[in-house]
Amino acid sequence: MIQIFDPKVDYNKDYGTPASVSENLITLEIDGQSITVTEGTSVMRAAAQADINIPKLCATDNLEAFGSCRICAVEIEGRRGTPASCTTPAEAGMKVTTQNQRLGKLRRNIMELYISDHPLDCLTCPANGNCELQDVAGEVGLRDVRYGFSGENHLQAEKDHSNPYFSFDPSKCIVCSRCVRACSEVQGTFALTIDGRGFDSKVSPGQNQDFLDSECVSCGACVQACPTSTLMEKSVIEVGQPEHSVVTTCAYCGVGCQFKAEMKGAEVIRMVPYKGGQANHGHSCVKGRFAFGYATHEDRITKPMIRDSIDEPWQEVSWDEALNFAATKLRGIQEKYGRESIGGITSSRCTNEETYLVQKLIRAAFGNNNTDTCARVCHSPTGYGLKATLGESAGTQTFDSVMHADAIMVIGANPTDAHPVFGSLLKKRLRQGAKLIVADPRRIDLVKTPHVETHHHLTLRPGSNVAFVNAMAHVIMTEGLENRDFIAERCQTEAFNAWRHFILEERHSPENTESITGIPAAELRSAARIYANAKNAAIYYGLGVTEHSQGSSMVMGIANLALATGNIGREGVGVNPLRGQNNVQGSCDMGSFPHELPGYQHVSDDAVRARFESVWGVELDNEPGLRIPNMFDAAMDGTYKGMYCQGEDIAQSDPNTNHVHAAMRALECLVVQDIFLNETAKFAHVFLPGSSFLEKDGTFTNAERRINRVRKVMPPLAGKQDWEVTQALSNALGYPMNYNHPSEIMDEIAQLTPTFSNVSYEKLEEMGSLQWPCNNDTPEGTPIMHLDSFPIGKGHFAITEYVATEERSTRKYPLLLTTGRTLSQYNVGAQTRRTDNQVWHDDDVLELHPQDAEDRGIKDNDWVGLTSRSGETVMLAKISDRMQPGVVYTTFHHPHSGANVVTTDNSDWATNCPEYKVTAIQVIKVNQPSEWQQRYHEFHQEQIGHLDSARRDKSAESAAGE
Amino acid sequence: MGNHQLTSLIRMANQIAANNTHIGDEIAEAEMVANHMTKFWARTMKVEIKAYLQQDGSELLPIAQKAVSLLKD
Repeated sequence: MIQIFDPKVDYNKDYGTPASVSENLITLEIDGQSITVTEGTSVMRAAAQADINIPKLCATDNLEAFGSCRICAVEIEGRRGTPASCTTPAEAGMKVTTQNQRLGKLRRNIMELYISDHPLDCLTCPANGNCELQDVAGEVGLRDVRYGFSGENHLQAEKDHSNPYFSFDPSKCIVCSRCVRACSEVQGTFALTIDGRGFDSKVSPGQNQDFLDSECVSCGACVQACPTSTLMEKSVIEVGQPEHSVVTTCAYCGVGCQFKAEMKGAEVIRMVPYKGGQANHGHSCVKGRFAFGYATHEDRITKPMIRDSIDEPWQEVSWDEALNFAATKLRGIQEKYGRESIGGITSSRCTNEETYLVQKLIRAAFGNNNTDTCARVCHSPTGYGLKATLGESAGTQTFDSVMHADAIMVIGANPTDAHPVFGSLLKKRLRQGAKLIVADPRRIDLVKTPHVETHHHLTLRPGSNVAFVNAMAHVIMTEGLENRDFIAERCQTEAFNAWRHFILEERHSPENTESITGIPAAELRSAARIYANAKNAAIYYGLGVTEHSQGSSMVMGIANLALATGNIGREGVGVNPLRGQNNVQGSCDMGSFPHELPGYQHVSDDAVRARFESVWGVELDNEPGLRIPNMFDAAMDGTYKGMYCQGEDIAQSDPNTNHVHAAMRALECLVVQDIFLNETAKFAHVFLPGSSFLEKDGTFTNAERRINRVRKVMPPLAGKQDWEVTQALSNALGYPMNYNHPSEIMDEIAQLTPTFSNVSYEKLEEMGSLQWPCNNDTPEGTPIMHLDSFPIGKGHFAITEYVATEERSTRKYPLLLTTGRTLSQYNVGAQTRRTDNQVWHDDDVLELHPQDAEDRGIKDNDWVGLTSRSGETVMLAKISDRMQPGVVYTTFHHPHSGANVVTTDNSDWATNCPEYKVTAIQVIKVNQPSEWQQRYHEFHQEQIGHLDSARRDKSAESAAGE
Repeated sequence: MGNHQLTSLIRMANQIAANNTHIGDEIAEAEMVANHMTKFWARTMKVEIKAYLQQDGSELLPIAQKAVSLLKD
């Protein structure tokens, strides 16, 4: 059920049953009080809305009512018995009594039965102080348990500590099924069940497995739902209940879940998904919920460090010394090699305020536009493609919009792994009957998920996306399935006619493209009809669309489909890029690209530049700067010599590692700002310690353009928040910056960015979050875009000619490698590798089809060598029928696995987004690591040695001082 | 100056040209390619590809050659 933001709702309160969305209001009387609620609201919720709190155990407001515990029984005038208030809908004129002697006695009797089989160890129980069973015992006035405690019971039931983050203690279980229902209704995994009947009933993960071995994805929904300490975070068991909490935003994927960071002093005890989070509505995944321990990991570097050469040990120095060292080096390089010889990269893991400040530093203090962001290597084609067709570089919907979709096409995305909380919402809609089309070379988990029917899994060949999308459009146009009214009213006629002429050509038919895409023509035709004929059809896509040599063409092809069928501008439809990292959308919005100032305003526009120049007080360059891959090339050529890199690990994440590392070595000054000595920092001359998301204030913008607040819950370990470091570097370079708080940076962003003009921290506090555009036209933000018109007036059909990639399978390299991510790890793994998420994925493996394995004599867990024209690496093999023959897959979470040693420097024609998804390789059985891995190991040891010696020197110095 | 950037630029220019051949009018196609370069390429990249066209240019596709010749100084 969609929960609409309502400032009257107290998200810290449990109303017992979900809100009902209805326009009809009804009035009833509860305990003599007149209460008006929406139709469909339960009696329990209606009472709770009036602060009449009926005792409950099996009810909680993110689950449908279940009616098993009977504690919430009430009396209703004119009705027999004592109905459960959770399962009874409120009706007009109803008169309800929630408390009297009869109900009190009934509730005490129920509680007596529960407590007769429950350990009486409240004082030493981890839930002490936060236990619903204890609370209800108190509320009903339980004073005696007449049954005694010597009867048959579950008090000796075996505990399960297998999950690294939570424990399962069945002796505390009251079999309320909240955990089972949370796993089914909220998460959609169906890993839990109630096994047995009557007295033998017990919660069971899978088929009598322990939690770790079961299908449990460790999202934490069951732990959150448990009213006792049966399912409890190990951190709480260890140190006790938290004493205060702060609402903040997750720093992992682009869903942008909000959490309550529950604290003891400055220590985070647990992260609990916040019901008021407008992207997640109280749900979470294993990363956001549990994998936050990296923030206080011993590998954190908290002292600035410098060195003249990467062959030298680091020296720990003061902030001033490090910043002056960096400023002197960078200015020296500019004096010697020219103004354009330096630049910088910011990251989608940083806040809006931080990325804004980095690009401002580069444009204003460096005096050039050599600024880029890691969105270059993920969603830059989205920016290009959607701006060209729809007029704005952003997704069109809210996440909640999916609940109105009747047909859902997922292209090159793996939501249950990479955007799990949205994946759960999507699965909920699919269980309600929406049709699903998946276009992916691999059988992603969504294809086979409980109670979901995938109508078509189109196993297209890597590199054939544009041929596929053109064939879809060809079917729609030749079979007359287009929305002519929408096209006539909302789209540019000339562009449409040209596109129509192009797409009707017979060469785009599914029959003619079958040999390119590998998709049977009849199946593609059927999929196209489902998409075009649905009342509401929505497309969700990920990096399987963008990370190709025609990434931008494919994004435009997707927009063409939505325009042709009129699936734009209302709930349940749209073009929805699923952003990999928390702030991909934001880092792009904030002007991180070399050709655009904040708000996608081109640097060559004199009027735009004049506005920035007057606020920033400097003259700005009117030519675009270098993109990341151009920076590497220029570094190799000796024209690019210095770089400031904030929060991004290009040495691991970017393709063709050998080339990237050679470029890094060619730099005379590399300044890295990060929380760990990441792979890039091993090539650095200045290390500026960064702060984790828990240590700073700011905002992240998620994939639905939602600006969410990030709030500091603990002091920065190194003493400075990241924006303060950038500001200090700017000041050291002689360009003054004097912000006192990130809210002042946001004020400047609002002043200069037309789509942000009404955004402020004050408004974010008031509204909870804001979806841009948020300006005088849309003062409370824009949940759904392009309702009546496009920012470019009318929608623009773009001609998307299929051009085959140069990367194709050959006799030498017969397999196509595609890369991606897994649920438990995140991007380069710098964060998740430093948590217990390692138990699920402690190494990258090569997935290959049984036939490809057999042809090569490869068995599961054999070492295999991967060779492409770029390089060689070695990893373990995993045989999997998820793959199609000829296509292999791996992740890039672990630096030593060297997945990107193999990927090539091919890229998208329009944006240079790397073609990570298509690399021709050969795979053979081997018995030792690759040469690259051996070199990597030696270099790693050397750099760790340089770090250790800095720390040793410093501790010897302080010991001498004492 | 080495040739890493130039190698990439030639490849990029040809790739942009290959993806903009649907108009059927070479001049209009070259203009599209030139506009793309103007909008997205850094000053140094434009200078380098123009210098290459003046000296040699043989590795550029015809539309890419035309596009580079249209780039303003």
